[in-house]
Amino acid sequence: MNFFRGVMGGQAAGPQPSGAETIQKLCDRVASSTLLEDRRDAVRALKSLSKKYRMEVGTQAMDHLINILQTDRSDSEILGYALDTLYNVICNDEEEEQDESEDAVTPLPVSGKHKNVSMPDENAQKQADDLGAHFTDKFIQDPEHVTLLLTLLEEFDFHVRWPAVKLLTALLKNQGPQVQGIILVSPMGVSRLMDLLADSREVIRNDGLLLLQQLTKGNAAIQKIVAFENAFERLLDIITEEGSSDGGIVVEDCLLLLLNLLKNNSSNQNFFKEGSYIQRMKPWFEVGDDNSGWSAQKVTNLHLMLQLVRVMVSPVNSPGATASCQKSMYLCGLLQQLCTILMATGVPADILTETINTVSEVIRGSQVNQDYFASVNAPSNPPRPAIVVLLMSMVNERQPFVLRCAVLYCFQCFLYKNQKGQGEIVATLLPSTIDANSISAGQLLCGGLFSADSLSNWCAAVALAHALQDNLTQKEQLLRVQLATSMGNPPVSLLQQCTNILSQGDKIVRRGSKVQTRVGLLMLLCTWISNCPIAVTHFLHNQENVPFLTAQISENLGEDERLVQGLCALLLGICIYYNDNSLENYTKEKLKQLIEKRIGKENFVEKLSFVAKHELYSRAAQKPQPVFPSPEQMLFDHEFTKLVKELEGVITKAVHKSSEEEKKEEEVKKTLEQHDNIVTQYKELIREQDAQIQELKEKVVSMSSQNEQLQATVTQQLSQIQQHKDQYNILKLKLGKDNQSNSQGDGSQVNGLQTEELTQLREEVEELHKQHALLQTQLGDKDALIDTLKSEAAQKAECSAGASDNTDLLKELEALRSQVQLQSSEINLLKTERQDLLKRAETGLSDTVSTGDSSSDPAKMADLENRLAAQTAETEKLKDETKSLSESRADLEQQLASATSTVAILQTENAKLQTEVQESKKEQDDLLMLLADQDQKIHSLKQKLKSLGQTVEDEDDLDARDQTDDDEEEEDDDNED
Amino acid sequence: MAYAYLFKYIIIGDTGVGKSCLLLQFTDKRFQPVHDLTIGVEFGARMITIDGKQIKLQIWDTAGQESFRSITRSYYRGAAGALLVYDITRRDTFNHLTTWLEDARQHSNSNMVIMLIGNKSDLESRREVKKEEGEAFAREHGLIFMETSAKTASNVEEAFINTAKEIYEKIQEGVFDINNEANGIKIGPQHPTTNSTLPGSQGGQQAGGGCC
Repeated sequence: MNFFRGVMGGQAAGPQPSGAETIQKLCDRVASSTLLEDRRDAVRALKSLSKKYRMEVGTQAMDHLINILQTDRSDSEILGYALDTLYNVICNDEEEEQDESEDAVTPLPVSGKHKNVSMPDENAQKQADDLGAHFTDKFIQDPEHVTLLLTLLEEFDFHVRWPAVKLLTALLKNQGPQVQGIILVSPMGVSRLMDLLADSREVIRNDGLLLLQQLTKGNAAIQKIVAFENAFERLLDIITEEGSSDGGIVVEDCLLLLLNLLKNNSSNQNFFKEGSYIQRMKPWFEVGDDNSGWSAQKVTNLHLMLQLVRVMVSPVNSPGATASCQKSMYLCGLLQQLCTILMATGVPADILTETINTVSEVIRGSQVNQDYFASVNAPSNPPRPAIVVLLMSMVNERQPFVLRCAVLYCFQCFLYKNQKGQGEIVATLLPSTIDANSISAGQLLCGGLFSADSLSNWCAAVALAHALQDNLTQKEQLLRVQLATSMGNPPVSLLQQCTNILSQGDKIVRRGSKVQTRVGLLMLLCTWISNCPIAVTHFLHNQENVPFLTAQISENLGEDERLVQGLCALLLGICIYYNDNSLENYTKEKLKQLIEKRIGKENFVEKLSFVAKHELYSRAAQKPQPVFPSPEQMLFDHEFTKLVKELEGVITKAVHKSSEEEKKEEEVKKTLEQHDNIVTQYKELIREQDAQIQELKEKVVSMSSQNEQLQATVTQQLSQIQQHKDQYNILKLKLGKDNQSNSQGDGSQVNGLQTEELTQLREEVEELHKQHALLQTQLGDKDALIDTLKSEAAQKAECSAGASDNTDLLKELEALRSQVQLQSSEINLLKTERQDLLKRAETGLSDTVSTGDSSSDPAKMADLENRLAAQTAETEKLKDETKSLSESRADLEQQLASATSTVAILQTENAKLQTEVQESKKEQDDLLMLLADQDQKIHSLKQKLKSLGQTVEDEDDLDARDQTDDDEEEEDDDNED
Repeated sequence: MAYAYLFKYIIIGDTGVGKSCLLLQFTDKRFQPVHDLTIGVEFGARMITIDGKQIKLQIWDTAGQESFRSITRSYYRGAAGALLVYDITRRDTFNHLTTWLEDARQHSNSNMVIMLIGNKSDLESRREVKKEEGEAFAREHGLIFMETSAKTASNVEEAFINTAKEIYEKIQEGVFDINNEANGIKIGPQHPTTNSTLPGSQGGQQAGGGCC
């Protein structure tokens, strides 16, 4: 059929339908057909045309295809075709060929019209890119379309899921940021994409990896969400499953995705570290000695793995984060594993270089890791330190340039913030510690410094400079280094030799650029003598140095030499700035005058500024790793750029200053220094005191805790003692009980506590008994008291005046009672009589009945009845009498009550009277007292009268007689009472 | 480093209520009075001990600003615990709790433990939301509640640890499917997967022994 159509099409002479027309027809069918099969066929046809007529299909069919995606959700086949078509329209990758054989429905003849498709030159590719971007824009115009695509991704059907993944990848490739934005805000968008990694069909999982790569590109928010969705775990699992570095491109894709997630994303790096994923990287590098061959894929994989390690410890990360990663890399053995690769044989140079760079960053600034690195030995015979082996490569011009750069970086990282390492390196050059038998790092560096290879010169100079960085001790130590010269001449100092090469550089024929050598040496000298007045003095001591520098600076040289001029100016500036004026010829002042005379201040400053203005300067200032596109551009070192930044300003100032200002400043400096000294002294003092305080605090803390402990033990012991006491008591009691209750058998089993309680209770009971007895006796006493009181009261009642009346009444009552008794006995008598009579009457009646003689009976009966009636009346009368008598008795009783009450009233009256009597007695007493008083008054008046008129003697007699009379009277009164 | 369980937390709430400061206080034991606005989400982690078992907390501190809300939503599903934070000195942050809670409940798994936190309890003089109100809100919506101060570190540890305890209890009760990592819970590396079907206590003890 296909063939037939093709032949037909080829032979047709008439007007052929253009591609656009065909596509339009197909679009109409897609839009209007009611039959699913028709629509499906049309979409399939569109798909087959979509590559050739990309433009036309894209412009005309896109809306219809999207419509299909929305409406024909149930038919996975049509969905698949639509997605494929959209993919073909949107994707720019031409090389991704698909097997078209099964869909080869070509209604149009294959012709060579569209040559540009099969021959993609640059222009065509650009056109294709534009087209892809254009259609992508069109597709994502409505964010809903992307969301729709995300929901289609949930379809499990391979024919839907796979093309959907590819289409979304293509969209992300063309318009990353916009599509990322849409996916980010659609709920669960990223989560759904993460699910692709769990798909059991490898094709989908692998294309899912590519999709996630595009998705995470440059979008930190998405990177974090992907990481949150356990991406690290899954990716590391896939890498392991696929055989780590021996795995295929899938491993590479996983690694690329991991790099995307971690690069410049501190949050994810932290998560990676905290998730203990660093530990899982270690096995990746277990490749050292098994030379199972290094496929291109393995090299790529390992390269990416190394990059991943570097991302975690990059110098641009925050120092704290890098430090903790470095620590865990050491602890989990990752660093050790990397060092094994470093020393292994057969490792491709590419991998070796990257491993060196990785090791560099793993040890940079971490003392523990640096110390470990210093201890690594190469498995050679005799074993040599890894550092030495690496430095041999650095100064070996046959080694690849990148490898040499890597070794330099490694060396720099080893010495970064590592005073111990710096000391060890410099020590290998010192006469006292030099080891002549083996090659040392110092020897290699010196060899490099003076070799005929400019690259080695530069590297060695920079490496040596790093051994002196921020380390005054080593700067001074290095001044002691002497070099033996060949001709039997006296030895030359290292400093001297460096300046010699600078000034006489032209004598040696070198490979490479002269500038490189000189720049290297000048950088070394600048680093060496800066901030080290002794080194400055050493440098100035050589008479040739200053003239050489001034000559270099003042000369009008070409473009190439400008950097050297600048560095010479810097070196001269350092000689001024760090000059302690110990050399008379080269004091600060004299050097400044020299500059003024020979060079001119302005000229000097301008030359100085050449350094920082150099095009390579800013590049080197960016990051610590020495990376250069070509060996010629290897001119600046990162640490050196920092030094320049620091010194340029101060040197310019120093040169411009007049001598007077200088002096003033000097003075100020001195006073400041003094102040500083004082301050430092005080600081020291404070520090000491702080330490003391700290110590004392600690002491206090420990003592208080001791105190607490002791108190605790005391209370414990107290309670123990109490317990022991209790136990003792119990035992004692038990013992007693046991003795008592031996015969009782079971009784001895009574709990100790209970016996104790029992005795207690018994005691209590006894006490209570006693109390009870006491109370009873008291009660008896009280009763007796009451009795006496009662009898008293009775006596009193009898004694009282009105008591007779009462007795009369009582007597009367007694009489009445006896009367009543008499009468009641009489009644009783009568009653018995009557009963007798009744009995008799009954017997009489029975007699009459039994005899039959009843004529005389009625009379008898009447007689008896009359008597009975009379007797009952009498009884009635007697009853009435008793009634009246009892009434009178009640009356009498009432009278008695009233009488007793009157008795009571009388008693109270009596009491009243008694009190009255008492009162009157008191009155009488009072009156007697009054009388006595008046007597006395009379007596005194009499005496007065006597003293006035009468004789004294009589009066005395009288007085005396009166006195006795008075006494007698008083006695009488008493008697009367 | 070995742990018996790993829990994922998120911290949510209005901007400026002190979410990042709470995290910093918990992970680094320090307080940063001036803190930059959180962009998107930041990660922090710490190890705690519950019932003698080491539990690793991985915490995602989210941005409170409205513009980041859609990004924040992506984190609800995979979290086992959420700290919902308001500022006791700003009434509006308390008023927005309902919105936050709705959002959280809508996007998270139903077992997620939510701890309501009234932060800045050190600023008593500027208090606008009473403690009782927070308690009432928590009671009404079935949340745990606490007032904290990231500045003085008061209750900060407790907030994170109590949330973990609640999750831990839910695990013991079998509410969480611990084999589904989408719940924000992971069993420690010592637990062999065959063992994980057993109640957690046995494996946990093994883990505890391993790290001593």
